[in-house]
Amino acid sequence: MRIKLTSIMVEDQEKALRFYTQVFGFVKKHDIPVGGEFRWITVVSPEGNEDVELSLEPNANPVGRAFQEGLLKQGIPATAFEVDDVAREYERLKALGVVFTQQPTQQGPITLAVCADTCGNLIQIYQPPVSQ
Amino acid sequence: MTKLTDVLTRLCRARDLMREVHDQTVTIDEAAREAAMSPFHFIRQFSAVFGETPHQARIRSRLDRARLLLVTGEKSVTEICMDVGFSSHGSFSTLFARRVGVSPSEYRRRARSMVAVPGTFASHPFPGCLSLMGPAFAIFEKQQASGSVRVVACESS
Repeated sequence: MRIKLTSIMVEDQEKALRFYTQVFGFVKKHDIPVGGEFRWITVVSPEGNEDVELSLEPNANPVGRAFQEGLLKQGIPATAFEVDDVAREYERLKALGVVFTQQPTQQGPITLAVCADTCGNLIQIYQPPVSQ
Repeated sequence: MTKLTDVLTRLCRARDLMREVHDQTVTIDEAAREAAMSPFHFIRQFSAVFGETPHQARIRSRLDRARLLLVTGEKSVTEICMDVGFSSHGSFSTLFARRVGVSPSEYRRRARSMVAVPGTFASHPFPGCLSLMGPAFAIFEKQQASGSVRVVACESS
């Protein structure tokens, strides 16, 4: 058993693809129309294993949307991405107009920050301990 | 830190307010006041967090509700149009067709044709988590297959 695919729910797949590639800097791997208005879209990180994919899933199912909105209202990140330097990434994203709900903060051995992905989610970025 | 999360809470509340259907439509200024921001700052912050303006969020929410009512309910298109907050059938249908790709009645007809069990509807209008993967891989494999066929054809010629 392997972990090669994870997903995040998004409000609008096209907008999400733009944000996740142009702002976060991921690279599109798959973009396949699957009938109707929906697409199977995945992105990968240019800095990580390129076979680990993140799927940008439509939140069209009301159950999914309720969960997504609930998390957002409680300020809970939908997922987390690792970065080499949280402070640098924070400045880079802020300059691109990204809103942070938590500035870079030291929590135990890691430093993390939380931002909005403009697709209905909060995303945590974290910097692992140096010794890792 | 508290202040930032507080802003998020207020924006979420304002978004809920924008999405509700009232007899009198909540204006941007009123929503901004609720969020304790100037209208200019409110629109800017709202867009930066949610990826769309408050007005766009309202329209999207109305269309989403209309879609649900079209698929699951029995009301006429005109009634649904009024129920979700539009005042004109014409502008509703035009906007719906532009965003969704088909007219409200056509959307209903297509969704109804997928109904398998009375009282329920097929999952297609609302994809579940990772449920798109099956069709995507089927299409992907088909593309791969037709690609390899082309390669063979080139080699043989």
